[in-house]
Amino acid sequence: MHDRLPALAEALAAEGEVAAPPCPDPVDPAMIRNWTQAIGDGNPLYAGVAPPAMIQVWSMQGLGARKAGSVVDGLLGLLDEAGCTGVVATNCEQTYDRYLRHGEHLRSTLRFGSITGPKRTALGEGYFVTWHQTWYDERDERVAGMLFRVLKFRPPERAAAPNPAAEVGPPAPMIGPDTRFFWDGVREGELRVQKCGACGRLRHPPGPMCPHCHALDRDHVVASGRGELHSYVVHHHPPVPGRTGPYVVGLVELEEGVRMVGNVIGCPPGDVRIGMPVRLVFERLDDGLTLPQWIPADREPPDEDDEVEGAAPDASDEHGGAGPDDLPSIEIPLTPTFVIATALATRDFTPVHHDVALARAQGAKDIFLNILTTMGLVQRFVSEALPDAEPAGIAVRLGVPAYAGDTLTLTGRLTDDGAVEVRGAVARGEHVVATVRLRDR
Amino acid sequence: MTATTTATTTGATTTGALGGRAAIAGIGATEFSKESGRSELRLAVEACHGAIRDAGLRPAEVDGLVTFTQDANSEIAVARELGIEDLSFFSRVDYGGGAACGTVAHAAMAVATGQARAVVCYRAFNERSGHRFGQATGGQRGATSTGLEFSWHVPFGFATPAAWVAMHAQRYLHAYGATSEDFGRVTVAMRRHAATNPRAWFHGRPITLEEHQASRWIVDPLRLLDCCQESDGGVAVLVTSTERARDLAHPPAVISAAAQGTGPGQMMMFNYYSGDLTTLPAMGRVGDRLWRASGLTPKDVQTAILYDHFTPFVLIQLEELGFCARGEAKEFIRDGGIELGARLPVNPHGGQLGEAYIHGMNGIAEGARQIRRTAVNQVADVENVLVTAGTGVPTSGLVLTRG
Repeated sequence: MHDRLPALAEALAAEGEVAAPPCPDPVDPAMIRNWTQAIGDGNPLYAGVAPPAMIQVWSMQGLGARKAGSVVDGLLGLLDEAGCTGVVATNCEQTYDRYLRHGEHLRSTLRFGSITGPKRTALGEGYFVTWHQTWYDERDERVAGMLFRVLKFRPPERAAAPNPAAEVGPPAPMIGPDTRFFWDGVREGELRVQKCGACGRLRHPPGPMCPHCHALDRDHVVASGRGELHSYVVHHHPPVPGRTGPYVVGLVELEEGVRMVGNVIGCPPGDVRIGMPVRLVFERLDDGLTLPQWIPADREPPDEDDEVEGAAPDASDEHGGAGPDDLPSIEIPLTPTFVIATALATRDFTPVHHDVALARAQGAKDIFLNILTTMGLVQRFVSEALPDAEPAGIAVRLGVPAYAGDTLTLTGRLTDDGAVEVRGAVARGEHVVATVRLRDR
Repeated sequence: MTATTTATTTGATTTGALGGRAAIAGIGATEFSKESGRSELRLAVEACHGAIRDAGLRPAEVDGLVTFTQDANSEIAVARELGIEDLSFFSRVDYGGGAACGTVAHAAMAVATGQARAVVCYRAFNERSGHRFGQATGGQRGATSTGLEFSWHVPFGFATPAAWVAMHAQRYLHAYGATSEDFGRVTVAMRRHAATNPRAWFHGRPITLEEHQASRWIVDPLRLLDCCQESDGGVAVLVTSTERARDLAHPPAVISAAAQGTGPGQMMMFNYYSGDLTTLPAMGRVGDRLWRASGLTPKDVQTAILYDHFTPFVLIQLEELGFCARGEAKEFIRDGGIELGARLPVNPHGGQLGEAYIHGMNGIAEGARQIRRTAVNQVADVENVLVTAGTGVPTSGLVLTRG
């Protein structure tokens, strides 16, 4: 395979700049608002112009669009066949020539860059593949450019005894004739509690005979979905199939008077207390399994402003070693809502950014931030620290994935040559290191 | 008083039909390890053979075998290896570690009623190097009644014994203002006892309360050091008539009382759906039966072997068995209250937290040793010992008496 690469690379290079699939929509205030709300970027400038870091969004094809051929598809396919089936983005460098206004309809082109390798990397041996995308306005003037680099790598051989927890999803319940009504109810969005057809007593878990009057005649009621937490545990260890710890298992006392086990979700484990009021939600774990779960009863639907909060105190506070050029840091809780909302607002429908079961099936710990969002967050950091600055380019080097449930902490400083260096850290390490060039004014 | 009452024991006035008729006359065990390097059947027959020889009998004189439903070694497989050609009694007891004292109860009933003359109770497994109970269960048990019980829990990632016990423990902390340190004091006591027991895995390795508090969360509120170890090994005890036992090699550990019990709405380990989570009704009932049948009270036992797979249930057992009032176990265990030399030495061998996790069978062997007064950490002047089996499940218990 290695022998064929130079020829293929040469042929790709000879193709030069080729048209990318058309941009589906013009630059549009509704899409911009979706994006700024999801990213949490409150810069008032974006009422009139598009955020520069949104550039790639305009050429994203959207959900259900036929996957258009890219200049590197043949090359990536060849690497797949050669066993380099892993792929991870390593670099994204965007250059912005000017702000885009509402109504502008762009087109873009793609150009093969290079392939280098094989190289030994932490992920395994692989090849770096680079390509370029360029956006033009209706007068064929360039408005932005991008370099994109991925590592196609050969995943290491699996250990002899793979971790079973990583292999399979959550176990589905056994269902028998005496319990089927309950799970049918869950599928229909109802929480059903068995009621004796003779004496009317409620009972959970259900069974074939009423223990009080011994009637075999069964009925059920639909629970209100309100209850109180009677006890709970926080599971840390060992790994459990289909689960990412720590997570909470609660025993809920329903207002109907029966108790039921379910997960308490929608709040950090540390906020869970015995006696807290909870309410029912249905959580879909994968295509085959939906479970009745519980969230704090006082939890409002997530407010879009939530994601904007959390700006850290001034860099002038007691943060050790904060230099004069340090900019205020931002902490962003990576809730599942945040990860999903930003993926969709960037028109990225790749399932690993919204489908936790599928993400796990592909070996990820959970759903994770997409690159277009990371670019947007780097821009947001600069925009909050330096409201008047106009980015001329953002170059990022990507590190570990930013998983749902984690917190992304962005820090940054002004460099000697007037750029901003931004670093984004998550629990597992550095997610992104970026350099933002500012336009001279 | 019934006609079957016998006055064979010291201190115990046995009123149950079983009372005092049978005794533990032999104990046997393999070493306790993390990797036995041999089959579970081999562990079982080594332990059984050890118990038979300890009693001074020959395998051919054994006519009964009892084990746990969960044991992988059938009675006939054990009988084949031991060359036992005719079993007149064989039985199994279900519900995990709750079976432990139940095996002896079945054996004693068989002996008392003449179904068998010498019954060996055994439990052997490679629980560390083979199938580990502490790992998450997949819950794939078929649509049996037990499979359906698991189906209300396992799909929620509620899939380990530690998690199932932690649900009770959290409520206990809430109800009585106990703390993780109160749980930790149990482990500190068990590790102190194990430290001077050469057979214990944790021989020579006591811990401090600070080390308990620094150990990582397994399932909050349970830390690593609230959970018993995982072990490979086998233990067996031989039960025969008290009368015959008196002619054998060791002083008999007379079975003054043996009981099994369940609670209302009993499930395998999910007794959450009615009543008070800070209690263990099945153990309370076993305790009541043991005290009634033996004519003893908590004050009459000099040491107790309490099943200690997870620390919180040691506290609740002290309350259920009448050693202290509800919610007061934390005071009972403070200042080393369950350590050697204190008001109630619990598990002088180090228990399952310190010696080994052999599903409670090693505790029964320790009970017999304390009665013989040959234990490595011997409690002074032992006349009666209480032994319990697995908690949170249908359970069992014994009162052993010197006789």
